Amino acid sequence: MQTKKKKPLTLGRAVIYALLIGGSALMSYPLLYAVMGSLTNMQDFLSSPLLPIPRTLYLENYTVMVTANFPIFTWIQNTLIRIAWYITVPGIVAVFGGYAFARLRFRGREAVFTYLLSSMMLPGIVFWIPTYIMLARFPGAGGNNWAGVGGSGFVNKWPALLIPGLVNVYYIFLMRQTFYSIPEDFEEAARIDGANTLQIMRHVYLPMLKPVLTVMVLFQSVAMWNDYQWPLIVSVGNPRIHTLALGVQRALLSGAALKGWPPGTAMTDYPFAFALAVVASLPTILLFLWLQDYFVEGVQGFALKG
Amino acid sequence: MAITVPASGAPAERKRGLRGARRRETLEAWIILTPILLYFSIFFLFPVIANFYISFTRWNGIRGRPEWIGLTNYLRYFRPPYTMIITNTLLFAGFVLVFQTALAFLIAVLLNQEVRGRGLYRALFYVPTLTAAAVTAQVAFAFISPYDGVLNAALKMLGQNIVIWTINANWMRAFIIIYSIWRGVGGPIVLFLAALQGIHREVYEAAMVDGASGWDMLWYITAPLLKPMVIFVMITGMIGSFQIFEAVLLMSGGGPANRTNVMLLQIYNDAFVNTNMGLASAGSMVMAILLLGFSITNMRIMSRGQVAKD
Repeated sequence: MQTKKKKPLTLGRAVIYALLIGGSALMSYPLLYAVMGSLTNMQDFLSSPLLPIPRTLYLENYTVMVTANFPIFTWIQNTLIRIAWYITVPGIVAVFGGYAFARLRFRGREAVFTYLLSSMMLPGIVFWIPTYIMLARFPGAGGNNWAGVGGSGFVNKWPALLIPGLVNVYYIFLMRQTFYSIPEDFEEAARIDGANTLQIMRHVYLPMLKPVLTVMVLFQSVAMWNDYQWPLIVSVGNPRIHTLALGVQRALLSGAALKGWPPGTAMTDYPFAFALAVVASLPTILLFLWLQDYFVEGVQGFALKG
Repeated sequence: MAITVPASGAPAERKRGLRGARRRETLEAWIILTPILLYFSIFFLFPVIANFYISFTRWNGIRGRPEWIGLTNYLRYFRPPYTMIITNTLLFAGFVLVFQTALAFLIAVLLNQEVRGRGLYRALFYVPTLTAAAVTAQVAFAFISPYDGVLNAALKMLGQNIVIWTINANWMRAFIIIYSIWRGVGGPIVLFLAALQGIHREVYEAAMVDGASGWDMLWYITAPLLKPMVIFVMITGMIGSFQIFEAVLLMSGGGPANRTNVMLLQIYNDAFVNTNMGLASAGSMVMAILLLGFSITNMRIMSRGQVAKD
């Protein structure tokens, strides 16, 4: 075991700690404010504007979400469905795609890989607009005729939230780099034993891919939990298929109608607004605190490995 | 490799096996890649081409056919308010990028000293990155809301006059920049800290023996060794902060009078609020062109496969 020299607290070190504590306090202040604010009633909230201090623990901002049949649980459910889908399909695509590019020798490999990689040269908005039109004018869907005219296609319907983004080039790239780091001997040994590719993927590679798959699952979960722009574009008109970020944002914007505030009085009920924000933010933060090492590895992985 | 194959059975068998392996690999590769390429062509290649074409047309995307109008949509980007929108985008991206990178570098250097609770500090700096931009930007409005926001409540408590932040473009710009840095600084900190920890302690010890001061070491050792990571952080940061959206949409709506409006918000409004698909497509092409240099560099770094260990 390494013994650490205990450093004396010099002026320089005091400054370092002061900066770090001050900086992280500043970073945490809005979130702390929101958590504290969500636990206070309106009266307490108004009497301490710099940081709300709940005199008595006030949970009604949370319980009202359950008792008033607030759609937040529908939004959470929708978000979880998307998380499961966008982990499973892009995950399988990335594992097999990464394997093909790293391990299989075939003519045109570099060209195909460059073709996929080239998508990263363009900002997402370049394909969002035509993709939206494609989904909106999908023949036969949502009142459209065979030519894709007359209805709204898949807009404001589930397929629009599940069809795009199933091939994730970042993840294919990350998997390819991971396969490069695994010696080929394992696969060769399994081939000599008569295993086929699917068996090799299942029994040889899958256990070795566990760390990178965990990172992928974590990042994809956080990304989908917070996903807003695409759901806003294709599903803003149908609250029943809202994802959590979109639903909560709309609820915040339209005022906390649930608690009797008329729409348009945006966020007059700040404590309730903060409670909504806490519900939307806390799960990813807890996930991070629980699995911080994987996250850190993932952030580095995208830069150092790919 | 020119190896003549002997007539004996065993090597010939192996040769056939090799050729068999090649055939198997080619077959498997195309079984895997055909669906991927098919999907990718429908949802990437076709949209990109379609977007390029639509950008030269007038079309609402709902009915009728796109009507060819040449460069008209692009020319709009040379006239107000689009010139101001581009300026704002560059302004935000520049400010966020410079301050965020500098701040992240500073904090990472501090964290790299032997401090207790490094993981906790790192976590506190990273947590805002995990929040939904839509939710935190909407909640940020609770702080700056003109009549009942937190900032004005604090001002009132201190006996000052309240400020109507939302009608003051410079205040709104400042809030949007501060919010973006708050939410974005965590990732670069983690990256810089990792790169710093990759520098061997002996390098510093040797410098200390030679009588280098702390600042000397920061300037002559740390900074050059971190250069590849700084470049990576700045390029990805540029691409990211160029596409700033939620903060503007939800904090200022682009106002007052477009003075905080940015490209992605305008493209969104052109396409999905004003249903002017041609103008929006042209906007996305302009954005792609402005970002092209950064995107190509980013792709080069990616395909080289390494950032820090140059």
